[in-house]
Amino acid sequence: MMHLLLKFAAVCRSGNLRVSTSEVIDAMTHLQWIDFSDEAGFKAALKANFAKSRRDQGNFDRLYHLFFHEMQTSIACDPKGGQNDELRQIIATLRENEDLHEPVDQALIDFLQGDPAAFLQEMYNLENREEYRSPALKSNLGQLSGRLAVMLRINALKGAIGQASTGSGADPAGGPTAERLLGRLDRAYKMLTEDNRPNNDALKKVRSNETHFKDIGERSFAALSPAEILQMQEIIKKLVRKLRDRMGRRYAAGSRRYLDVKKTLRHSGRFQGIPIEIKYRQRPLKKAKIVALCDVSGSVWSAARFMLNMLYSMQDCFSAVHSFAFISATTDITEIFEKHEADRAVEKILSSRKIEFGALTDYGEVFQQFRRNHMHLVNKRTTVIIVGDGRSNYHNPREEILADIREKCRRIIWLNPEPEDFWHTGDSEINTYKAYCHELRPCRNLNQLVDFVEDLVL
Amino acid sequence: MEFESIEDVMKRLEKAGYIASREIATVVFLAAAGNKPILVEGPAGSGKTELARALSTCMNRHKIRLQCYEGLDEAKALYEWEYAKQLLYTQMIKEKINDLISGADTIADAVERIADQEDAFFSERFLLARPLLQAISADDPTVLLIDEIDKADPEFEAFLLELLSEFQVSIPELGIRKAKHIPMVVLTSNNYRDMSDALKRRCLHLYIDYPEPALEAKIIRLKLPGIEKRLADKMIAVINRIRELDLKKRPCISETIDWAQALAVLRIDEITREAMSDTINVICKYRSDADMVKASMDRILN
Repeated sequence: MMHLLLKFAAVCRSGNLRVSTSEVIDAMTHLQWIDFSDEAGFKAALKANFAKSRRDQGNFDRLYHLFFHEMQTSIACDPKGGQNDELRQIIATLRENEDLHEPVDQALIDFLQGDPAAFLQEMYNLENREEYRSPALKSNLGQLSGRLAVMLRINALKGAIGQASTGSGADPAGGPTAERLLGRLDRAYKMLTEDNRPNNDALKKVRSNETHFKDIGERSFAALSPAEILQMQEIIKKLVRKLRDRMGRRYAAGSRRYLDVKKTLRHSGRFQGIPIEIKYRQRPLKKAKIVALCDVSGSVWSAARFMLNMLYSMQDCFSAVHSFAFISATTDITEIFEKHEADRAVEKILSSRKIEFGALTDYGEVFQQFRRNHMHLVNKRTTVIIVGDGRSNYHNPREEILADIREKCRRIIWLNPEPEDFWHTGDSEINTYKAYCHELRPCRNLNQLVDFVEDLVL
Repeated sequence: MEFESIEDVMKRLEKAGYIASREIATVVFLAAAGNKPILVEGPAGSGKTELARALSTCMNRHKIRLQCYEGLDEAKALYEWEYAKQLLYTQMIKEKINDLISGADTIADAVERIADQEDAFFSERFLLARPLLQAISADDPTVLLIDEIDKADPEFEAFLLELLSEFQVSIPELGIRKAKHIPMVVLTSNNYRDMSDALKRRCLHLYIDYPEPALEAKIIRLKLPGIEKRLADKMIAVINRIRELDLKKRPCISETIDWAQALAVLRIDEITREAMSDTINVICKYRSDADMVKASMDRILN
């Protein structure tokens, strides 16, 4: 039992679940109290110990099924004892095969023997490896070609199994053992192609139908005329003033003071122990830090500019606002917004030479650059806001970086300026990214923007 | 051991008015046997807090509840010194202190004598126990419910770690307080934010989802014994179809129970269009949700 459990823990770890030694010990203890004939109980006990959040449960179920069902039944529990020798023979032949000495091959042979840990690790490495590429030659094929290489190895192994089983003297078509081995390789093949995303039940999807403003409030940002943009800016100014007032009231309520007895007593020493000077406990409200990543290509930018405009005019509501513009690379635009008035800032950004406006949007690259250069801005008090349509021109989306950011920040809010009907079409990766966001909102017009900002500050 | 078997857990919870699925019962059984806290996640209204109540009833223990919120700190959760009382006592025994130091030759000697009495001021008498300390120092075993832990600040979570793994708290002036009896700890979370790994490692995890239709029917019949089976089944079918809609807040088991009660009070025994639109506010907590249900009424009712 111990051995089996340790093996399963190893599988879970390579399958991207965090299982610590203490959890394995707990699970071992718990299994003593459980009746093994009742599988639901057995699974529940392991699940309670190994998958400690809703997000991990999908992944756990998958690994559990793989390990305890697919890996155990077909080969290990052989009804007729005789075939086990044949299996051992085939595996031995495969291990000795000169052509199959790469780590991937060994991992695959382990997989055939019922131990998927090494193979899962290979897959994990494949998904999470860093890609270094020259900016001139854009390609997102690193991960894909990595997978392709594994697929080729699977095919090579299939050929080798065929040879080994016919060579062992059994019937020429390759006996039932070989067939089962081939079936298992098909399973490995399928695992390479299937997607595996965390359960994100808690994702807050906001679809506000509130109308703060008629007409102009409902018009899409992209469809505004220059005159309307001016009008919009007036409205935003007024709104910001209103929101700040409300914020101020909240601070007034929050700074209601409590007697700090410790301090009062300490100071009373000066007056022979009589507390003349009353001291209060002051707990300043914690202000949020904001990191905004804005897509500045085409229609998306029109939404981002208004949002940044608003955030910056309310800077005193947050302890820090950092913003980055991106298309295929991130550019820090914090300073421009701090120094200049909103309109000027927007103009400056749009004429900035640092941003490559001709390039194709590439979210994966952008996230990677952000992680490399600006990750220190993100901590447990940071709200990360991403404004973009998630259209990554079929480049590698690198969603694992977003998962990384999620671990470090307080919230990730994604604002999508595209009409909702188009979200899951074409090269949009919003479905992929959605699994790692805390909140997903459409943000096409002023009403939706106002809703968002109100939620954020109040 | 507190419970004999998983079946025993199910039976006793049912007697306390809580119908548990097998998974819930297993985790409760393991937690009770291994003295581990349970971290319960699930949508609002799925019976997370209710589980703690039922546990306290069926284990015949007191329930101590700590509601978490932003800004909750040690002074509110663990203990606080009662300064006012200390101050009052110092005033009252001032003369006594004078007596105490009257024979002292030097100031150092006087200080020494007062220092000998220091313990009197930092003793249990002046300690105001808050829920966590209460749970640990209670004379009988308790059930400690830490509700909505995700609403508290991350710092507070870190401060819980000592309590959850060692079942002890350190009070600088008094030393370490070990639990007299290890309490049964239930933490609930609405998934407002992710819990830290350290906290998760110390707990058993349990996710309570929307119940299976059969289980939900059982729960409703337990809460409202008079309800007709036909009506209950129809209600559950309707509720499950409403859950499939893309709502802001999906109706949970608590809404189903409220709805059943509303129907009983209004003496409605047939779910029709009118009955639905009269009682929709019990099921949907947002106007936009209610509108959406009304719009797809035909699909829901058939």
